[in-house]
Amino acid sequence: MTATSPGLHPPQVSQPGDRWVKVSGSTLPDDDAAVDEAMAGILSSGNPALTIIYCSPAHDLTRISARVKRAVGAGEVIGCSTAGELSRSHPTNGGLLIWAIGGDGFRVTTGFGLGTPERGLRDAAHEAALCLERVERRQHTILFLLADGLCGDQMEVVRGAYDVAGAGVPLIGGCAGDDMALQSTRQIHEGTLLTHAVVAAAISSDAPMAIGIAHGWEPLSQPMLVTESRGTILTSLDDRPALDVYLDAHGAPPEARRDGKAFFDFAHTRPLGIARRNRIEIRYVYGADFEKRSLSIFAEVPQGAMAYLMKGSCNSVLDATAEVCALAESSLEGLPARGFMLLECVARKSLLDAAGLLEESLRLPTVRPEVSVGGFYTYGEIARTEGSGGLHNQTVVALAIA
Amino acid sequence: MSPAPWSLHLLSEVLAAFTVGSPNALRDVVSRVAEAVDAEVTAILRGERILLCTGLNREEQQQLIAARPQRQGELDLAVGQLHLFWVPLDGDELLVVGRFREAYDLEERALLRAMGRSIQLSTQVLAAVKAEQEAMRAEKQAKEAAIREATIDHLTGLPNRRLVLRQLAERLSCGRSRSGIPAVLFIDLDRFKQINDAHGHRVGDRYLQEVGRLLRDLIRSDDLVGRLSGDEFVVLTTTSGLQEAGDLAGRILWHMHHQPLRVGGRRLPSSASIGIALATADDTPETLLENADLAMYSIKERRAGGYACFDQTMRQQVRERARLEAELREGLPRGQVLAHFQPIVSAAHGGVVGFEALARWQHPRHGLLSPERFIGVAEEAGLLRELDTVVMESACRQIGRWSSAREGILPRLSINIAATSLADPMLSERIRAMLADSPLESRQLFLEITETTLVEDVASSFRNINELKRQGVRLAIDDFGTGYSSLRYLKRFPVGILKIDRSFVDGLGHDSEDDVIVETVIRMARSLGIEVVAEGVETQSQAGILRRLGCHYLQGYLYGHPAGSACSEALYHQSLAGLIGTAIDAG
Repeated sequence: MTATSPGLHPPQVSQPGDRWVKVSGSTLPDDDAAVDEAMAGILSSGNPALTIIYCSPAHDLTRISARVKRAVGAGEVIGCSTAGELSRSHPTNGGLLIWAIGGDGFRVTTGFGLGTPERGLRDAAHEAALCLERVERRQHTILFLLADGLCGDQMEVVRGAYDVAGAGVPLIGGCAGDDMALQSTRQIHEGTLLTHAVVAAAISSDAPMAIGIAHGWEPLSQPMLVTESRGTILTSLDDRPALDVYLDAHGAPPEARRDGKAFFDFAHTRPLGIARRNRIEIRYVYGADFEKRSLSIFAEVPQGAMAYLMKGSCNSVLDATAEVCALAESSLEGLPARGFMLLECVARKSLLDAAGLLEESLRLPTVRPEVSVGGFYTYGEIARTEGSGGLHNQTVVALAIA
Repeated sequence: MSPAPWSLHLLSEVLAAFTVGSPNALRDVVSRVAEAVDAEVTAILRGERILLCTGLNREEQQQLIAARPQRQGELDLAVGQLHLFWVPLDGDELLVVGRFREAYDLEERALLRAMGRSIQLSTQVLAAVKAEQEAMRAEKQAKEAAIREATIDHLTGLPNRRLVLRQLAERLSCGRSRSGIPAVLFIDLDRFKQINDAHGHRVGDRYLQEVGRLLRDLIRSDDLVGRLSGDEFVVLTTTSGLQEAGDLAGRILWHMHHQPLRVGGRRLPSSASIGIALATADDTPETLLENADLAMYSIKERRAGGYACFDQTMRQQVRERARLEAELREGLPRGQVLAHFQPIVSAAHGGVVGFEALARWQHPRHGLLSPERFIGVAEEAGLLRELDTVVMESACRQIGRWSSAREGILPRLSINIAATSLADPMLSERIRAMLADSPLESRQLFLEITETTLVEDVASSFRNINELKRQGVRLAIDDFGTGYSSLRYLKRFPVGILKIDRSFVDGLGHDSEDDVIVETVIRMARSLGIEVVAEGVETQSQAGILRRLGCHYLQGYLYGHPAGSACSEALYHQSLAGLIGTAIDAG
C-alpha cells in the first residue's frame, strides 16, 4: 500500500534560489574521526542551514553532537540515536550519518520539548513544534520531528505537533532507536543530548517538498474489532484475548507462545494494521504479556478501530522502498528532487537482512545517481499528509526536496 | 480480503473514543474523533466561542466562527477548501469536523449526526470528569504547596529545620549501614552580620543563596543540605568516621576561603565554623543536631573558620557555662560584679592621673573571677549591657568620691564599653543620669572601645557618640593598632586618647618594628591633638623609651595591678600626696 502527498499548497510558480541537500557518513569507530570524515563531505558544499545527525548509540553522542555543532557553526543542528543508518551506498550499524541542507532557498528554525515516560510526549511535541512560529516563511513549509522511540504512545507526538502545525503544514519524522536494545534513545538539539524528548525543525523552502509513504504489507485476516485497548496495550480483538488471536492466526511456534525474546523475534515481521478511511496504518507489535494475554504496540491502537493482522514478503517490502522515493518526487510539482530523506522502520530492515536483501533495498532504481539519499532505521515513522493522524510503524517514509 | 465497511469503522471508533478515560479527556477525544473520521479539523463550539479545536490557526478559527450561523458546508482557507460538517450537540454547542479534498458523504453525515446525542452526553461527562480532576489537582497542589511551605526554606530553596530533622530521623532509623554512619555538619557563617550591615539585606540574602548553592555543589548526591535559620546551614551525610567527615568540612572551608562568592557583581569573602557530630545509638535527631551545634560553638570560640568534632566534654562545658550564666544573672543585682582599678600614670612625673575600671566577679564559690571567665557568658546571655552599667555606676561613684576629697584635682576614669552597649539607644541618657547622680564630671570620663567596634558599628553608634561628645565624655581607642585602623574615624569622632596595645609595648627596645610603630602612633596622635596611653608597661626600660618618644601616660604592672576600691583609693591619695602642689589636669 502506498500514499503520497503533494502538500496542501496551491500550485505556485517557483523560482528556486540556491539550495542543496547533502548526505555524508562514516563508519569509523573513533567519534572525532567519524565526525571529521562525515562533515568533510557536507562542508564542501558550504555551511548548512540544517544539519541532522543520525548516529548509532555505539558512539559517544555527547561528543559527536558537540563536535558537529562546532563544525557547523551558526547553522541549526538536531539529530537522534538510531537502530541503523541508511545511505545510498549501504546501510550501516554503529555508524554516523549526516544529512544536511543549505543555501539561500531554505529557512530553518529548530526547537525541542521534554516529556516523561509517565506523561508521554504530547506536550513535548507541542513545545518543539513552536519553532514553526519563528521560521521565516517561504512558499513551502514542513515540520520535521525526531522523537524518543521508547517514551509512551508515539501517536501523541503527532497530536502534539499537529496542535501547532495545523492542517497547513505537513509533518514528517521518525522515532529514535537504540540499535534494538530497547532501553533508551537519545535526541540531539544544538549540541545538547536529550532523552524523553522531541526535537523539531521547521523547514521553509522556495521550492516544493513532498512526502511519500509506503509499507508493502497486506492484510492477512478479516478486519477485527478492537474490543479493548488502552493506549499502546491491546487487550482484546473481537472479544478474544488479543495475544491468543495473534498467535493462532499466525500459527506461532511454541517458543513464541511462552518466551518474550522468541515472541519479539516472531512478531518483528508480523505487524497489525489499523483501518483508516482510504488506507491502512501499520502498528508494530513488540511485546506480549503472557499472563494478561495482551499485546504491546509501539503506538496507540484505538479501541473501536478495525484492525487487521498483516503479512508481507521480502518482495513487497523491497517494492515499497523502491517506490517511495518516486512517489514523493512525483509530488514536487514537476521539479526534480535534489535529495531525499528516508525514514524506515527497523523491522523492515530485519526482514530484509534475514533474507540477505538489505543492500538490494537501497539500490533505488527510481532515484538518479547524483541525488543525495540518507536517513535512519526508526522505531516509528511520522508522516501526516492528510487527516490529523500520521504515525506509522513498519513503514518507509520519504521526504523529497526540490 | 474484503475491507471493513467504512461506516461501521467510523461508528465504532468515534463512539469508542468517548469511552476512554484520560487526564486530558476532552482534548484526546477531539483528536481521536478527527483521526477516526479522517478529518484535518475538529472543533467544539459554544455560541461564538471555540472550546477546543485542532487543525486551524487563530485566524482560521475566526473564519470558522463566522461560518457558524449559516453552518457553511465549505470554508476557503489559504491551504485549500475545507469541507465541513456540523453536528448539533446540546443547546448552542456544535461539533464541527472538516476535511480537505473529499466532502463527507451521506452515510458519514448520517452516522455523525446520529452520534450527536452520544457525543453530547460524553462531552458533558468528560467536562464533569475534567472539572473533578481539576478540583482534585488543585487540592493536591494546595497540599503540596502547604507541605513545601512547611519544609522548604523560601530564601535558598533548601530543606528547612523541620525537613532536616525528619530526614535525620529517617537516617538514624536506618542506623549504621554499610555505607557508613549518619553524621551532621553544623555550619555557621562567620561575620555574616557584617556583610548584611555593610551591603544591605538584599545582598545578604543573595549571599546566603550562594552559600546554599556552594554547599550543594560540594556534597555527594545522597547527602542533604539544609538551612536551619539565619546564617546556620547543615549537611547530613553518611561517613566512615570522623576523618572522612573532617575531610568534607575541610573541603567546604577550603572552597569558602579560596573562592569568594559572587553576589551582584561583588566578590564577598566567606568563612564558616563547622561542628561535626557522628550519630550514636542513643541519638535522636535533636540531640545529634545539638551535638554538632556544640562542636561548632566550641571551634567558633577558639577560632572562626575551622571545624571541630563533638566530644562529651563539650556537653560538660556547656552545662558549666549554663550554670555560670544562671549564677551571673543572680549575682549582678546582688552586687557581686564590681569595678577594680588599674592606675594610669603620667609619663612626665610618674604620678597617678587616673584609673581604668575593670570588671571583676566576686563569685561565692570560685572567688574573684577575671573578665575572661565571664564576659563571654554575659555576652551570650544578653547581660553585657547590664554588666557594663553595673561596673560603670560603681566606678563613677567611687572615682567621683575620691575626686571630691581633693577638690581641683580630677582623676580620669576609663571604662571599657561593649559594642552592644555603644549601640544601645539609651546609652547616652543613662550616662547623663549616672553623671548627674555622681560627683564625677563628664570630662573625667573616657569610654574605651576597640577600633574594630568603632568601624563595624558606626551607623548604630553614631548618634550615641555625638551625644556623648555634647556631654563632654570622650572616647579612648583601646588596643590601637590591632584591628581596623582607619584614621578617618580618629578625625570624625571625639577621640581623646589612643591606647597603644601591649603587644607593641612588649617589643620596645628589642624589636625595631615595634619601636617604629609606637613612635609613629605617638607622633601621629600628638599631631592630631590626641593623648596616648601605653598599655602593658612592665619595665623601666619600656617606660623610659615611651617617655622619650613623647607618650603621655603609662599603664601596666610596673605601676600597679588592678585592685579593689580601697587599695586603689589609697594608691591614688598616696600618689597625690607626693605631687602636692603639682596640678594634674584631666583635660
